[in-house]
Amino acid sequence: MIETKDLCKNFKDKKRGEVRAVDHVTFRCKPGEVFGLLGPNGAGKTTTLRIISTALKPSSGTAVINGVDVVTDPQGVRRQIGFLSGNTGLYGRLTAKEMVAYFGRLYGMDESKIEKRTNELFTLLDMNTFANVRNEKLSTGMKQKVSIVRSVLHDPPVMVFDEPTSGLDVMSSRTIVDFIKTCRDSGKCVIFSTHIMSEAMRLCDRVAIIHNGRIYREGTVNDLLVQTGMNNLEDAFIKIVEG
Amino acid sequence: MQTKNIKTIFLKELKDTLRDRRTMIFAFLMPVLMMPVIMIGILKLQVSAVSDIRKEKQVVVVEGFDRLPAELQARFESHDSLTIKLSTEYPGEDLKQEVTSGRIPVFMSVPERFSQSLDLESQTDIEVYYDGAEDRSSVAYEKIRRVLTNHREGVVTSRVLKRNLPEELLTPYNILDIDLAPPAKQGARFFAMLIPYFIVLTCFLGAMSPATDLGAGEKERGTIETLLVAPATRGEFVIGKYMVVLLTSVSAGILSLTSMALSFKYFANSKEFIDLKNMMNVQIGFESIALILMVVLPLAGIFAAITLAVSIFAKSAKEAQGYLGMLNFMLVFPAFVSMIPGMKISMQTALIPVINTSLIIKSVLSEPDAINWGLVLVAFFATFAVAAACLVFCKKWFEREEVLFRM
Repeated sequence: MIETKDLCKNFKDKKRGEVRAVDHVTFRCKPGEVFGLLGPNGAGKTTTLRIISTALKPSSGTAVINGVDVVTDPQGVRRQIGFLSGNTGLYGRLTAKEMVAYFGRLYGMDESKIEKRTNELFTLLDMNTFANVRNEKLSTGMKQKVSIVRSVLHDPPVMVFDEPTSGLDVMSSRTIVDFIKTCRDSGKCVIFSTHIMSEAMRLCDRVAIIHNGRIYREGTVNDLLVQTGMNNLEDAFIKIVEG
Repeated sequence: MQTKNIKTIFLKELKDTLRDRRTMIFAFLMPVLMMPVIMIGILKLQVSAVSDIRKEKQVVVVEGFDRLPAELQARFESHDSLTIKLSTEYPGEDLKQEVTSGRIPVFMSVPERFSQSLDLESQTDIEVYYDGAEDRSSVAYEKIRRVLTNHREGVVTSRVLKRNLPEELLTPYNILDIDLAPPAKQGARFFAMLIPYFIVLTCFLGAMSPATDLGAGEKERGTIETLLVAPATRGEFVIGKYMVVLLTSVSAGILSLTSMALSFKYFANSKEFIDLKNMMNVQIGFESIALILMVVLPLAGIFAAITLAVSIFAKSAKEAQGYLGMLNFMLVFPAFVSMIPGMKISMQTALIPVINTSLIIKSVLSEPDAINWGLVLVAFFATFAVAAACLVFCKKWFEREEVLFRM
């Protein structure tokens, strides 16, 4: 479960001075649900997700992840979360297996558990043929799979996806989308940001429209369409933001 | 801070670094192979180039060769590395111009009635045209000058004797120059000046390459975010990465020192380098290496912290290399103090990192029996303190969002 309360984040910008990237963002995301943060570039999606995953500290407000507070116990929060973004890279000189094991150790897993989980997931995602190949030699699709295994190896209850399909081709996107569905079906709490409306329509149980750092509206895709009287999310989005 | 996490990070970064070909070249191959090759190569070239020119025959074009007294003509003709050619062989050519253009090395012009003037004991001039910016021309000029000076002294001596004056009149005193340094020490001094700079440089290069990869590389690969949301503290990441950079930096320094010591030993006994034997007679024993390690270790500690901090600030490896290139100049340049003749470690210089390391290495190499242990300790602790401060800064720096997310 993810709960944010009046989350704010200010940045200092050379040209514009103090900029508020996230402005009193409050929402709630339940286990077994895919929650979409929907907004254009620069809306504050990535910053919000970075605060939730403790890469950034909030300027004010807080977020509670599975009962652990990001401000008071960021280390505790990190164990609850699996994180994946579209531009996540890999260590090229490590093999797929070494890369995954490294993160397993950082997440405090013991060697036998790492071994067991890796074998399980590598078989599930059909990765055994390139398990011992260096990451730099893998194709984009293979790399994506390594990132997926890395993000769920420790079986976290919460998954954070920051524009996970940006820059991916159709096949790799499909792998990610299927993976998100699997996460939801296994009862994980999934939060997911995107600026692609069609993706949000296909995947999200509930969405929040975010723009200029503020949440404009929150609800199921259907709710938003009904409320705005539109028949697709893109038009609904424009109406909400400009309305 | 958990040692388990630090160990995990250290081992991963070490494996990653050891597989990095660029780091291997900069941190290990360069110091081991390049340094001795460069140093000995330069030396060999320098010594042999000059002596080769001396042994080579140079052409001297002479105008009015027959105006010289027979004795002087004979001296020139029998000279084993000068070939005399008459200006009549170059009809219609401006011979001064030919010297400037480098076609002929030297042109000598003997005035008319030169011999007669000598016999009459009056004064006359002999003109020698050469190009002082050309090694070949200068060497030829020196040879001619030596022939002429010798002959002139002979003329003066005979004039003095003819007047029944004592020969001592010509030399009021003799200058006796006696170099008391044993040949080994002379050589040691030369290398003791050069080696400290190279060791400091290799330490920096040994830190620079892995630091670039472990800091800016995380941003370039897009792995930094994943790292920051993993349950290890920023401090644990800094220490783990720092130790890898420190290790490569120290290894690079020590490797370059041992490889230089070994290659000097090898080359000093080879026939080809016989003329360099004295210069390479540097004794680098285990004790010296241990002592040098003691001052190199904290210095590498400074380099590791600074290069890592700069690298994590940079948006890309390329940007990091730009900054580090500049830093290389600023931090390594002071090591040149060892090249200042007579510059020795003192209380003041012992307190300044880089300079103290450089001067202590110099004294270990040039005067291994007269090491001032007090100053070595001062230098060690001064450098260590700065390294600790740099590490604290580096850790704080790693905790800043505007540094980590400067993309």
